[in-house]
Amino acid sequence: MSIIYVLIPIAILFVCLGLGIFFWAVRSRQFDDLNKEGMSILFEEQKKSPSDADKDKQPPQ
Amino acid sequence: MSYSGCFHCNEVIPKGSEFSMLIEQQQRQFCCPGCLAVAETIIGQGLGDYYKFRTAPASKAQLVPDQLQLVSYDSAEVLADLTQSKENQTQIELSINGISCAACAWLIEKQLVKNPAIKTVSVNSSTARCLVSWDAQQLKLSDILASISQLGYQASPFMADQEEAFQQDELRRFLKRLAVSGIMSMQVMMLAVGLYFGEYTGIDAEFEGYLRWISLLLSTPVVFYSAKPFTLSAWRAIKGRELNMDVPVTLAVFYTFLASAYATLFGIGEVYFESVCMFVFLLQLGKFFEFRARAQARAATGNLLKIMPVSARLVQGDELIPTSARRLEAGQVILVQAGETIAADGIVLSGESSVDESMLTGEYKAVSKAAGDVVMAGSINHDGVLKVTVNQALASSRLGQIINLQQQTLNQKPQIVEKTTQLARFFIQRLLIIALGTFLVWYFWLDQERAFWVTLSVLVATCPCALTLATPTAITCALARLNRKGILIKNQQVLEILPQLTSVFLDKTGSLTQGRFSILRTKLHHQSYNEATLLALIARIETYSEHPIARAFSSYLNSEIKVDQVQVHVGSGLSALWIQDDGSSVEVKVGSAAFCAIQNQAAAAVCCTINNHLVLSVELSDALRPEVPALISALKQRGLTLSMLTGDSSAQVEEVQHQLQFDQVFKGCSPEQKVEHIQQAVSQGDKVLMLGDGINDSPCFHAAHVSVALDSGTDLSKNQADVVLLHNDLHLVQQLIEGAVLAQRIVKQNLWWAVGYNLVIIPLAVAGFVSPYIAVIGMSFSSILVVSNSLRLLKP
Repeated sequence: MSIIYVLIPIAILFVCLGLGIFFWAVRSRQFDDLNKEGMSILFEEQKKSPSDADKDKQPPQ
Repeated sequence: MSYSGCFHCNEVIPKGSEFSMLIEQQQRQFCCPGCLAVAETIIGQGLGDYYKFRTAPASKAQLVPDQLQLVSYDSAEVLADLTQSKENQTQIELSINGISCAACAWLIEKQLVKNPAIKTVSVNSSTARCLVSWDAQQLKLSDILASISQLGYQASPFMADQEEAFQQDELRRFLKRLAVSGIMSMQVMMLAVGLYFGEYTGIDAEFEGYLRWISLLLSTPVVFYSAKPFTLSAWRAIKGRELNMDVPVTLAVFYTFLASAYATLFGIGEVYFESVCMFVFLLQLGKFFEFRARAQARAATGNLLKIMPVSARLVQGDELIPTSARRLEAGQVILVQAGETIAADGIVLSGESSVDESMLTGEYKAVSKAAGDVVMAGSINHDGVLKVTVNQALASSRLGQIINLQQQTLNQKPQIVEKTTQLARFFIQRLLIIALGTFLVWYFWLDQERAFWVTLSVLVATCPCALTLATPTAITCALARLNRKGILIKNQQVLEILPQLTSVFLDKTGSLTQGRFSILRTKLHHQSYNEATLLALIARIETYSEHPIARAFSSYLNSEIKVDQVQVHVGSGLSALWIQDDGSSVEVKVGSAAFCAIQNQAAAAVCCTINNHLVLSVELSDALRPEVPALISALKQRGLTLSMLTGDSSAQVEEVQHQLQFDQVFKGCSPEQKVEHIQQAVSQGDKVLMLGDGINDSPCFHAAHVSVALDSGTDLSKNQADVVLLHNDLHLVQQLIEGAVLAQRIVKQNLWWAVGYNLVIIPLAVAGFVSPYIAVIGMSFSSILVVSNSLRLLKP
């Protein structure tokens, strides 16, 4: 059981790391508009050439 | 999404309109050339994804604004007033009209980022703001604004007021505190599970001590960082010799934390670190949602700068020099073109035009101005070009005075002591006395050893958790419920006051009425013409006019009618040639009776003549919103005193009064008089709601207990109101009141439960029958009950 003397401090280290990253994200305004970030995954990042884009479009309904 | 109307804005497509375009193998129809142009830009730039993923139709595209008007933003003085410069980058915040969903934000970002001179763009879709930083040497501000307007949005420079900037920071601090208390709660809870199991299966004292020490370490930031707002608020209250809800919260947090720390240090008694963390996390979560709802409501409406004119065109000799409106001085001459906002109070030097002063005075008809007439800053010049001699700086103009008046009334907002605060004060006093009494009695007479722990269980069991959660959770849920219906609430006190409402003041122009002309009656004078055709003809000709009267006809528009040689005669009417099906043409005049050379048509606002014979006369009025009569009778049923408060003094006031039968009517009021009327009602003990839309209503908003602004209102009124209705539907007023009544009922139920539970548990805890573990379970159970009761408000 004495392994917890090592494991718990390591866990705490990760928690602090996670909090640090979260603080950074808040400071760089990533949480200001949650709607937009949720939508951004729908949009293609890079513009494909028109012929490529047509192939994976859904057929018109 | 599929739309039946215009592909871009989903508005009805006028008959015979021929605006269409091939998009992804489908022929799409548009309502106007503006929407078509915008769609062409969007598709042409490869941003067609916008149409696939948007969740709401766009707003109707305005024709691209006059490039000249945008260019006036490029003057060095205006830029210096509006932007911040860092090295060779200039940063500006823009407020964007017409953002309806997150896809709009994406569209604007993609469009702007293509320009190499623009370094970063960030559009916030919930507040409709855009932060751009760019290289001012390579790109003009007007070009940025123009490229946004090509997408069908109107961008204007914006400056957040201090309060808003503060709220943004506060929101970020909230998030950080929430993260600390949430994540730490999880860790401490995990360790607590180990300790719980140890209690039953046996645990080495060595490991128990270790787990306790780690829990102590992890909950320290929660108590000293996350709970800081509660601690500070409690400290302020105690310094002011008052008690608020944060006092027992702080007391419970610190007492439990210190007792557990003491137990850890000396290896005796029990620890309650997980309760401390959870308690702080839950309270913080409720406060966060409430704060965010209000901050968003504020940001979405906090747009003061737009009504203050930003730029002006100074006349110096033959030259026009764009300059900042704030730097205008008495004696200078400015040029105001059609559609522009007048930048300063002054006297017309030359030119004639009709000017819309409705936002400042409540008068709904445009006022015609000619040389020698006085014009006011903030009013909108409709159709002519005016040269104006400035007679005072913007700050001391009528607009500036109204804004000042409203700043003064800001601090005069009638205060209502929150009932829960009163209850808390009462309850906390007794609780503290009971806890102290328990400690003394146990310490001196009963069992010295157990005194500390019994007192702790008294504090934990009665821990004001349920009591403190009762109001905020109910209010947060009520805010969310009303928000979904399109009611934004910026001041949460509103929900507490609304059920006690006794008196309602309503503004007329723009609030009860639509604030624009619509056709009241028509009279056909010549039987050989068809009335519908004539109205369509007038509508067609009026498309050439900027005058507000022109908009009254827009629903009759039919593009099959052909006209030619349309001429606009400023301040009087229009003339044109009507080309008929057989190719022949007749001369048509549309305008005032005087312009058409007709007599005895005094009531008619618009006459139409063909070859100088009167064929149709049209009476216009500012029509009531269709839902108003139903709303008024519903409010009367609630037993409220209804008053109409208007700056208008025309005969229309009597007409409206005749229709709706108000208890009181005050007409021709200046903003100062409106404030007086409301303050008088407040001093008589009435609880007053004020509904308005104009700049002239905004000072009243602080005088009334609750103020409601309409989405179609001015930005200033939306900024100052407690409540903003997002749809221009006055039924929402009724729903607002009903929602508040419902919220109050839930709050009462919650409080009854919390108080009832405490009355049962206190005697048991004082007698020492409640072990601290039972106290924690009881506390959690009653908190869960209160929260789930509040959640009922979210059901539609």
